[in-house]
Amino acid sequence: MSTTEGPTIELDGEVVAYEPGETLYQIATRARREVPTLCYDPRLEAFGGCRLCVVEVEGIRNPVASCTTQATPGMKVRSSTPALEGHRRTILELVASENRQIEVDPLSGHSSGEFAALARRYELRPGRFAGRKSGASRHDDDNPFILRDYDQCISCYRCVRVCAEREGDYAISVVNRGFATQISTEFGGLLKDSACTFCGQCVQTCPTGALADRKALRAVDLPEPIAKTRSVCTYCGVGCSVDIVTKGERVVGVQPAMDGPANLGALCIKGQFAFDFVQHDDRLKTPLVRRDGELVPASWDEALDRAAAGFRAVVDQHGPEALYAIASGRAPHEASYALQKLMRAGWGLNHIDNCSRA
Amino acid sequence: MALATDDQILARYRDAEAPLLPLLHAFHERDHCLTSSALRAVATALRIPLADLWGTVSFYHHFAREGETRSAPRICTGPICSLRGAHERVAAMAGEGATAMPCSGRCDQPIPALVGDRSMTFAGSRLVPAPRSPLPAPNPGGLEECVFAGIRAPDRGTMAGYLASGGGRGLERARGLEPAALLDELEAAGLAGRGGAGFPTARKWRAVREAAGEAKVVVCNADEGEPGCFKDRALMDHDPLALIEGMAIAALATGATLGFIYLRYEYPETLDVLDRALTEARAAGMIGGAFEIHLRRGAGAYICGEETSLLNSLEGKHPFPRNRPPFPVTHGYRDRPTAVNNVETLCSVAPILARGAAWYRGLGLGGQAGTKVISLSGDVLRPGNYEVPLGFPLARLIHDWAGGLPAGRTLQAVTMAGLSGGFLGAEDVAEVTLDEPSIRARGSFLGAGGIMVFDSSRDMVAVAREAMAFFAHESCGKCFPCRIGSQRLTERLGFESGPTDQVEWRREIDEIARTMKATSACGLGIAAPLVAESLIRLFPGAVTEKFQEREAR
Ligand SMILES: Cc1cc2nc3c(=O)[nH]c(=O)nc-3n(C[C@H](O)[C@H](O)[C@H](O)COP(=O)(O)O)c2cc1C
Ligand code: SF4
Ligand code: SF4
Ligand code: SF4
Ligand code: FES
Repeated sequence: MSTTEGPTIELDGEVVAYEPGETLYQIATRARREVPTLCYDPRLEAFGGCRLCVVEVEGIRNPVASCTTQATPGMKVRSSTPALEGHRRTILELVASENRQIEVDPLSGHSSGEFAALARRYELRPGRFAGRKSGASRHDDDNPFILRDYDQCISCYRCVRVCAEREGDYAISVVNRGFATQISTEFGGLLKDSACTFCGQCVQTCPTGALADRKALRAVDLPEPIAKTRSVCTYCGVGCSVDIVTKGERVVGVQPAMDGPANLGALCIKGQFAFDFVQHDDRLKTPLVRRDGELVPASWDEALDRAAAGFRAVVDQHGPEALYAIASGRAPHEASYALQKLMRAGWGLNHIDNCSRA
Repeated sequence: MALATDDQILARYRDAEAPLLPLLHAFHERDHCLTSSALRAVATALRIPLADLWGTVSFYHHFAREGETRSAPRICTGPICSLRGAHERVAAMAGEGATAMPCSGRCDQPIPALVGDRSMTFAGSRLVPAPRSPLPAPNPGGLEECVFAGIRAPDRGTMAGYLASGGGRGLERARGLEPAALLDELEAAGLAGRGGAGFPTARKWRAVREAAGEAKVVVCNADEGEPGCFKDRALMDHDPLALIEGMAIAALATGATLGFIYLRYEYPETLDVLDRALTEARAAGMIGGAFEIHLRRGAGAYICGEETSLLNSLEGKHPFPRNRPPFPVTHGYRDRPTAVNNVETLCSVAPILARGAAWYRGLGLGGQAGTKVISLSGDVLRPGNYEVPLGFPLARLIHDWAGGLPAGRTLQAVTMAGLSGGFLGAEDVAEVTLDEPSIRARGSFLGAGGIMVFDSSRDMVAVAREAMAFFAHESCGKCFPCRIGSQRLTERLGFESGPTDQVEWRREIDEIARTMKATSACGLGIAAPLVAESLIRLFPGAVTEKFQEREAR
């Protein structure tokens, strides 16, 4: 190895370069090893709880958690051996044994299929390690957004950590210990009575669907396949990237884009949950104009003529300076763009704003 | 006397080091539970998110929550007390709100209980104040001792009595030595940790000394949560100044300015002893000034004896163990270089300094350095704490020193390292010497030196189930293999769930045990399976009998 190069480790017999400070997990993933994890979320401080990511390091008796172990030069690491794969399967079978079910509807949340995917990959034997179940679902928490189905919880604490580390809300925490551990707000209350802002981040990082998107799950029985369309949240100027979840023609949910440059998987309550208006029954399906004080359906041409006449009347009487436009946060970006274009290029004004201050 | 107001309590500790536990204890004492308004006040004062605080409080066994009371009796149902009918006692006192508590470190005495801050014991079916913890009996072999050498001197717990019986000479010598020379002396003595892991003390202290950062810390681990261990209690109750002198020497060696004693909740009288001793030590100039020691009380969690969990507990965080590296020697209490040491380790330091490395090293047998206190309990005539030379035959300790088993009984098994080392059978006991190499060769370890003896009338499967239930109860819940594995092993040893076919049953236990040992995040989960494994290895017949009983049902 020449001295001008950076440090390397030996990963499964192959020399791999790394940046100082990188963990074995980061290096292994970059080198396309499929190291399983359940408590890991790249946005969070590594926790070292699930122990699925264990790897063998020469000179260390027990396997080490790769997510919490920083590489040191020359380390000899094995990311997959029969012994490691055996431990991983045993851990996954232990986890499976504490839950009601493994497969959950993908509408539950962005990461909700992680555990089920590992269960399939490791071909878990049903009924292995059967025994008491650990979770206690909060059926009493009837908030409209977040299903707290802790029967499915595997105590990875990603929800608690994302709430603290990313959202800064510290609304939930780990209570009790060992097998009796539960996820709870202060004094065991409801989310609405806690510091929770219903940002949904806990839902989206949960690897089992224990925390699930209640609004999306309303569409569970729709027959069409789930599709996702990348977009940007309309509600404010942060510009969070989202995946609009649809079934057929219906918008059924919104999920944050984990790789969204502005949000890295975060959303606020509006971006996350306030999409019902899109296909709401009350929504106008045709333009309306006022006749004799009554709003009545009209053609687009008529409506646009009326709007143009209105603008014209104001400009004639008071000059263009009297115009001001405010776009709705519920309008699509394209519409907002057109409106500002109208104001700026059309009227030569900068009197343009948007209602959203999320 | 009027009760302290919230503000008075908060003012007393808000700006202190490690304020959370003393604050919670102060409210707990005043209100007999932790009320939600107290928790809100603490959360605001210490700027801890309320949900976090709620979670942290719930981690500890002994904090009564609103609607409960800390004066409800807690009765020890540790392995030895269980054999003596402790569970029946709890059931009988259910009307008074009695609950079970894990081994509370009095296995050499009648079943203990806690009521509020008093150690109690039974007189008939009534609870009465318990006597002080017994003084260790004079060494039955007439062998030279280290930590017990001065403990029986009159008034040893007072500064006058301590100095009159040879105390203080270690610190005096240490003050005249360069830290490097001090560390060399300890290294030459071969002193290793007595809290379980056996890490060389000089090496730990040197690492702290050499770590970057000025404000170094010494923590005495007095959590003694391991079932079957009650040696640290005896040392602190009867020779508290030896511990403080040891910590003062540790401060000289490491450069520490701040010290803590983290004492388990279940030793309320010891808390008073240490408090008085610290006051005397301050007055005598043993500590204070350049090195101050704060006494902190745990709240009932075995895992808080694990050093990184202990540090989180001191810091007021959720007491999960930390990921290592970094180790406490570089990033300990509030990320400061920290030496965490066991009580017995620290108590050995002053005598070593006073009498020299060669003397200490020479106390051991067969190439082993020094001595070890063994807490011996269960089916022996004279349970208690015995200081043995390392390398001493276990059979001699049990049969000669402790009077052997009650007449007509034979030895079936002993536990090692309290409970964490699992079981050794009669054959092992006949051959083994009390040192790590000998015990590790038999698949166990000496650890903190608790040994519980079970005669042939005992149902070892039931003992193993209770032991595993302890580990499951104390598992912190951080890592999957231990959190779920310890629960599943308990269920299997109790035949509550799991395969009905014995071969399949053993296969499941093997798999869980193997994975727990290899992948658990801390020593609890790594050691816990030993109980199940050694049971199956040593007593396959007893296991088969359980299956036959089950089939007959
Ligand atoms: C689950 C667990 C519980 C422990 N409990 C204690 C304890 O109560 N007292 C103690 O001194 N060490 C305990 N230890 C060991 C400590 O982590 C640490 O090694 C020790 O305090 C270091 O002191 P020493 O080097 O003087 O032995 C425990 C370890 C584990 C894994
Ligand atoms: S919705 Fe957001 S604020 Fe509420 S608990 Fe989840 S992460 Fe915390
Ligand atoms: S609710 Fe989900 S994210 Fe939270 S601990 Fe349970 S499984 Fe993990
Ligand atoms: S081994 Fe057990 S006690 Fe230790 S970190 Fe894991 S769950 Fe906690
Ligand atoms: S990803 Fe490393 S322990 Fe869970």
